[in-house]
Amino acid sequence: MSKGRRQKSEGRNQKSGARSQHTGKTTGRASGSKIRQSTADPELQTPNFVPTIDTEIAGVHFQNPVLTASGTFGYGKEFAHLIDLNRLGGIVVKGISAEPMSGNPSPRIYETEAGMLNAIGLQNVGARRFLEEKLPFLRTLKTRTIVNVFGYSTEDYVRTIEILNEGEGIDAYELNISCPNTRCGGMVYGNDPKLTEEVVGASKRTARRPLFVKLSPNVTDITALARAAESAGADALSLVNTFVGMAIDIERREPRISNLTAGLSGPAIKPVALRMVFQTARAVKIPVIGIGGIQTAEDALEYIIAGAKAVQVGTANFYAPGTSLNVIVGIEEYCRRKQSHLYELVGSLRIPDALGADS
Amino acid sequence: MSRMYDEVVTVVENRPLTGGHFLLSVHSPRQARATRPGQFAMVRLPGGLDTLLRRPMSIYDLKAAVARTSVGGAKSRVAGHRPALQRQRAPEIIQLLYKIVGKGTRQMAGLRPGDRLEMLAPLGHGFFPEDYLAEARADDEVLHVAGGIGIAALLLAARELAGQGIPQRLFFGGRTKEDLVGVEDFKPYVRATVLATEDGSRGHCGFVTQPLEEYLLRNRNKKFLFMVCGPWLMLEATVKLAQKYRHRCLVSMENRMGCAIGVCLGCSIRVQGTGHGAYERVCTEGPVFWAEKVVWGKERMSRVRGI
Repeated sequence: MSKGRRQKSEGRNQKSGARSQHTGKTTGRASGSKIRQSTADPELQTPNFVPTIDTEIAGVHFQNPVLTASGTFGYGKEFAHLIDLNRLGGIVVKGISAEPMSGNPSPRIYETEAGMLNAIGLQNVGARRFLEEKLPFLRTLKTRTIVNVFGYSTEDYVRTIEILNEGEGIDAYELNISCPNTRCGGMVYGNDPKLTEEVVGASKRTARRPLFVKLSPNVTDITALARAAESAGADALSLVNTFVGMAIDIERREPRISNLTAGLSGPAIKPVALRMVFQTARAVKIPVIGIGGIQTAEDALEYIIAGAKAVQVGTANFYAPGTSLNVIVGIEEYCRRKQSHLYELVGSLRIPDALGADS
Repeated sequence: MSRMYDEVVTVVENRPLTGGHFLLSVHSPRQARATRPGQFAMVRLPGGLDTLLRRPMSIYDLKAAVARTSVGGAKSRVAGHRPALQRQRAPEIIQLLYKIVGKGTRQMAGLRPGDRLEMLAPLGHGFFPEDYLAEARADDEVLHVAGGIGIAALLLAARELAGQGIPQRLFFGGRTKEDLVGVEDFKPYVRATVLATEDGSRGHCGFVTQPLEEYLLRNRNKKFLFMVCGPWLMLEATVKLAQKYRHRCLVSMENRMGCAIGVCLGCSIRVQGTGHGAYERVCTEGPVFWAEKVVWGKERMSRVRGI
């Protein structure tokens, strides 16, 4: 089934590729983002072309652009029986705070159309136990380890990073300023450019490793927050976190989630998240990591063409643990078929002339 | 905990029972061999986004492959079921007992022999943590207490205990007689079955906890081990009885689950303790817990209705 679809889209892409030689243009700012002209003409393809799909973000080298999203992959080991963890680009571990947190009461999750709501409340083992119990296993992998960092106040974030700085084998931090499910924390920072600058600045000064900042989609203009994070020293941006949503049991007239509101994730959010990644990639100079509803290589490639240098697979890990590996294989196949290296695809969206550069 | 396998399995039979219940048989030798009593499976129909997440379901029974079963063709309904006879050979078939309660289970009801199903199993730690069997032997009788579809968590345990020569008794309650599925399957392993329905259509009229308490009162000098699975209120009432009459009690908990491998933390329930230790995952630390570990009352666990 998917094979048929792939072949169909190939035909379409080749046609539009040919057209673009005359009228198309690429949107990426990096010079490497121009697609090789030969992609348009199958006769010019070299049969033994071996595409590279590795990527680099803020000095961290990833063997491929597929990471697993925080909160959907535990501390990695949970998936060891199910997939080959060494093949992943990176693992972003569950949000870590300075002290252990117990999270929200049950019910914490609810399935919605093509998605799910969750309000876990950042239950985690705390930074010290993470270093002692979880990090040693992650260090045995070829895969990059990124630690998602959470706090209730700027001091909390800084303290967590101070503790994590002591650990060996962490490749980067991902600052979570966008969790919608905890009171008086997280998203408060992510909604206000001034607070974003404050917490990112303080964290950057403390962090001994590259600092990624994970943005909330629950804002009017995500590029304002993106620029604020960039100017405060963020080395890269991950987006998006979940969308605040809600579901009601009409028989009982009760909320489906004890926390009342919850974060929506899954395929349902992909078009909106993709738009935000596209806008953000054009608004900042630092690399962008695309997240939101990815379950196939085609989904991931949309994010990459929109401007993401890497992607994170999230909710799909729950219902199809093999997703991230399938995405890697699919990206490689696409690159081979398109005779393109991954870096050439990043931000390579062709926009019709009439729309211009600012849409 | 035995190791889990993520597989695409083939439906052998999807037999309708009374009251919207079905007995689904799938061919999956590796998963069947690894299954211990009280463990569960996560199932999903391939493809659709309509039901995104897998559904947690108790593994009801394991069977050796039946030669006459013709996948994709003739109905094997004629064959009456003989529960214990094929036990010697390694099991290849996993049976899930389920009831239509929402979108996902309605889709499952449409499965036919030969259809494919995504299944992750076996999951969780079941009814036999290390010290448990010894405890069961020391008691006079094991009391299985089931509410509705909760019966599905208990059959494998009953068989294993019967194999050890441990006396057992089944208390089984439902809304109506059509909810009392699988009673026959327990008969070879238990001394007696006590049934109850809320509408009085079969057995005692009312909740199953009423005949259970009468039995406990008549046998105050005996020691029982409870094994319980059912809806939250029924679990809570049963646990209260166990505590009142000072018997030990194991509960098999249910909750909505995202992943069932311990990463989404969606199925966590309140347990005794403070701080980080105050929640445990039904999928990983459970689904079977000692009753005194669980915090009852204050916090209602999510309902599985409507999944």
